[in-house]
Amino acid sequence: MNFEGTKAVASSTSELLTTFHVGEHFFGLEVMRVQEVTGHPSVVPVPLAPAFVCGLVNLRGQIATAIALGELFGYGRDTTQQMSVVCRLDGNLVSLLVDSIGDVVEVEHSQFEPSPPALPASIKQFVKGIYKMDKQLLSVLDLEALAKELSPNQEIN
Amino acid sequence: MGFTEQEIEEFKTEATEMLDAAEHGLLGLDRGGKFKDIYDTVFRAFHNLKGGAAMMELEQLQHHTHQLEDALVAFKDHDEISKEKVSWFLRGIDAARMILENKEVNFDYGNSQSNAAVEHAEPAAKPLSEVGEQPKLSSVAIDEFIAECDTISENIFSRLRQLESKELCKDDLHALYRDIHSLKGSAYLFGFAALGDVAHAMETSLDRVREGTHLPSKALIDSLFKSADFIESIIEKIKSKSLEQARGEEVQSIRQLLESAANELSPVSSMPTVDATCNGDAKKNSEGNGSIRVPVALLDNLMTLMGEMVLVRNQVLQFSGRSEDLEFVSMSKRLNVVTSEIQGEMMKTRMQPVGTVVGKFHRVVRDLANELGKKIKLNISGEETELDKSLLEAIKDPLTHIVRNSCDHGIEPADIRKSAGKSIEGRIDIKAYHEGGQVVIEVIDDGGGLRKQLILKKALEKGLVREDQAAKMSDKEIYQLIFAPGFSTATKVTSVSGRGVGMDVVRTNIERIGGTIDINSVAGAGTDFKIKIPLTLAIVPALIVGCGDGKFAIPQVHLDELVRVDQMHENKIEYLLGTPVYRLRGNVLPLVDLNSVLGIKKEADRGGDARVVNIAVLNADNHPFGLIIDKVFDTADIVVKPLNRLLKSLQVYSGATILGNGDVALILDVHGISKVSNLGLKKTSELSTSGESSEKTRSISDRQDFLLIRLNSPTKHAIPLTYVQRLEEFKSSQVEWSGKQPVIRYRDIILPIIRVGDQLGFEPLARDRELIPVVVIQRGGKLFGLEVSEILDTLSTALSLDTSLVSKPGLFGHLNTTDELVVVVDPFAIISTALPEFSPNKLNEQASPIALSAPPTVFSKHDSFDLTAPKKILLVEDTAFFRKSIKAVLESAGYEVLLASDGQDAMEMLSSVGEKIDLIVSDIEMPRMNGFQLAATIRQHPAYNKTPLLAISSRADDKYVNQGKKVGFDYYLEKLQPDVLLNAISNLVNHPRGAA
Repeated sequence: MNFEGTKAVASSTSELLTTFHVGEHFFGLEVMRVQEVTGHPSVVPVPLAPAFVCGLVNLRGQIATAIALGELFGYGRDTTQQMSVVCRLDGNLVSLLVDSIGDVVEVEHSQFEPSPPALPASIKQFVKGIYKMDKQLLSVLDLEALAKELSPNQEIN
Repeated sequence: MGFTEQEIEEFKTEATEMLDAAEHGLLGLDRGGKFKDIYDTVFRAFHNLKGGAAMMELEQLQHHTHQLEDALVAFKDHDEISKEKVSWFLRGIDAARMILENKEVNFDYGNSQSNAAVEHAEPAAKPLSEVGEQPKLSSVAIDEFIAECDTISENIFSRLRQLESKELCKDDLHALYRDIHSLKGSAYLFGFAALGDVAHAMETSLDRVREGTHLPSKALIDSLFKSADFIESIIEKIKSKSLEQARGEEVQSIRQLLESAANELSPVSSMPTVDATCNGDAKKNSEGNGSIRVPVALLDNLMTLMGEMVLVRNQVLQFSGRSEDLEFVSMSKRLNVVTSEIQGEMMKTRMQPVGTVVGKFHRVVRDLANELGKKIKLNISGEETELDKSLLEAIKDPLTHIVRNSCDHGIEPADIRKSAGKSIEGRIDIKAYHEGGQVVIEVIDDGGGLRKQLILKKALEKGLVREDQAAKMSDKEIYQLIFAPGFSTATKVTSVSGRGVGMDVVRTNIERIGGTIDINSVAGAGTDFKIKIPLTLAIVPALIVGCGDGKFAIPQVHLDELVRVDQMHENKIEYLLGTPVYRLRGNVLPLVDLNSVLGIKKEADRGGDARVVNIAVLNADNHPFGLIIDKVFDTADIVVKPLNRLLKSLQVYSGATILGNGDVALILDVHGISKVSNLGLKKTSELSTSGESSEKTRSISDRQDFLLIRLNSPTKHAIPLTYVQRLEEFKSSQVEWSGKQPVIRYRDIILPIIRVGDQLGFEPLARDRELIPVVVIQRGGKLFGLEVSEILDTLSTALSLDTSLVSKPGLFGHLNTTDELVVVVDPFAIISTALPEFSPNKLNEQASPIALSAPPTVFSKHDSFDLTAPKKILLVEDTAFFRKSIKAVLESAGYEVLLASDGQDAMEMLSSVGEKIDLIVSDIEMPRMNGFQLAATIRQHPAYNKTPLLAISSRADDKYVNQGKKVGFDYYLEKLQPDVLLNAISNLVNHPRGAA
């Protein structure tokens, strides 16, 4: 996972983010939360599941739930989701399907800002905040919010 | 002092070798070796060990080996020594090993006559670890200590129980003492003073009992139990890492309790109960020798890896299936075998005997019985049945709950038991055994049984069911109600149970681990909870099916059978008010299409296969239903992988798995599917507002099966299926003639062939048919063949029989189905007319020797009307068809008829109706309580033991008739001979039992 060699250790004033694109948007995720990045896996669909759950993935004998971030954010599925970012959420593996993977970047905490109110609600709930990068804005994905989405309170039937 | 750990280790190894050598030598004697030859070896071993022990400053070991050596020297020039001596030396070697292992030993040197003077070894000898450097309390050491405490405390409990039941022999008592003693030792060593103090107090209190001068009193045993409880609670505390608090007061009070109990012991001159020596103990000890302790986490890891290995094996197998390389194929086969074996062995490592959980119930039942003031005996069988550790832990609470319930609700108070004629002591059996790849645990009590009416009443009060549904519910469905959340029938809330939490949790917990729970109950006789649990959770056998593009796994536990239905065939999928159903052997099976459950769009053209449908018959909560699937692939052992909660909340999946080819398959949750498709109990409550399904429920319960046949007539005919023994097809060449009677030699007997068509006056059948379809009917223990033109189908219908148009003898009536009229044939009448030698009366005399000392006078039907008041008859019959027709016969003769659907129902009616019943007419073959059981029960009943009993059955051979006589039937008649029946009845009601 040492994308940047010795620089991989974040200092107290900065953190390392794995970045990726979903549609036009640029997202980041704490490096330490990412287990691995893989190519587009073969996904077995789960009937009845919400649309953003693409299905299940065989990740070397472990089963991961594939989440189409584009769908979750309300872009629809017409994006070309080529890559997958694998994280562990609540003990379960999830494979976040994204369009492309960017670099691992080091960002200064001073550049952080909470997500602006203008963001569409469908995205905002999954974004912790944004980093003001030189060229563009980087939205930090909130894995906890995603985890919550994935474990609804058991319905009582 | 101050040896390094390595030095101690080395000495231990050496010492073990010496002991092994000595043991080997001694054992050689049993195989005919000469004592002289081995003397030197054994002597050297003891001697060297003594020296080594002295050097290592191990005083106890030195002392011990010295004693052994001395004893041996006494036999120096003997040619042989007695078996007892050999055993004594072997025990001495074992003891030396125990000393080496830091275990405490209480070796009886006195057994050696040559050393009679040697005093007993100091029982509180210091363990090795104390002799060497004081070990640091590493967490590993503490873990081991806890594990040891667990074992010891379990032992203490079981031995206390034996002590209480007076089954404890001297050896066990010593063992108990030793256990407590070693607990004390290690507790102090690890600095758990409270634990040590209590153990010490227990030890002291047992002193006099152990010496054999005093008998254990109940007070002593109770306080010992209490102390053991306290010890257990401390161990739990240590386990959960919560620091041991100063519990001086508790310790003090327990010590006082023990002390006072110990002081009040009554002395005895001899020890009648504690004398015998046990044999079983030695076996247990030897089993313990070959085991090591492994952390559970390690086993769990191994298990996960095992799962991966099974997957790889599956992949290799699939690959090798396509390979033509013979060497590779044979290698992969070997891999398969070995993997399966490893898997099996691996499973075993996680297995624990059920006894570790159910054994604790002795205590639970004992305490509860005391608390409730009942006497209850608990019998446990199959304790050695093994189950995956995690499953065992999961069923512990549900089982405890059921056992507590059985004690509280099941077993009646002593006075009620007494008045019901049962022994005052209630009985609970816990049985564990293997059945069909599952472990079954049954909890059976001989209490009052579940009270159906009470359950229904409660369920109605709580709004769990509605009245119209309640009337239609089967017993099973009613019993299942007790698992509904918030349900409790206990009239008073006790501390034991009755708060209505629990049974629902019981079922949820059992289902969570893939198990099922079943209830059987007989009013007045007890209740049987049957829990079925898969052997292990990690790897389950499953059927892989396909639907749409996906593959799905159905756990075999829930799969009853697979049915392939050809839609071109007559028996096909039908639609009952829009719901697909299939008739499976006469039962209507509701169907669910997996495609529609999963919302998969059906492909418009499914090609040539469209007419063949695969149905998997599944079982959820005893509600069978059929799942329509597109394809059936294969069975496979699958490794269950959990799903995240989002997908779990869809209810239809219980997990996922990876198949041999690396594909991911979802595991279907059978209960969930039944739930989301609104089948089963839930469905009736939700949907019956629409009226459709209530119609369905009713029709299923009142269904009557007929065999549809064709005679030489345009109208279809039918025979009630209950009469039919077998369907056969004979070649016409097989027919032989006995006089004018066509017969066929059929299994060792001569089967008379009767042409039904001829008897009913239809045109004779053409003689040149090659095959003759024959319906074989049994009557009075004899078989008859009814020749028909064609056997068509079975018909399951709720329609009632229309008897108004019966024009000919030999017919029952008509069924007015939606398409056509079906004539129902009375097979017995046909037989009677065709073969008059088997006429009812004659047959009856033959077949029912009970037929009284005075044979029934033949009254004409009208004679029955002479009765001044209508006599009341209870008719017990499970088949709706016979119930109706017999009722009609009886009512036409002026009797008042009460109906019961089976023996149990009858008993309930007898106890609920206040009025006098003059006669009971009962069928024999019935569910729940058959006629024989009913008769036996009635003959025990104080109010009805004189009531005349009449059996009517289609099985009237001697065996049955004799049994009927034995259990108390006054008459045993064949079904549906109205005249004979009425005669017998009028005979019985006019000359009641006892008066005749």
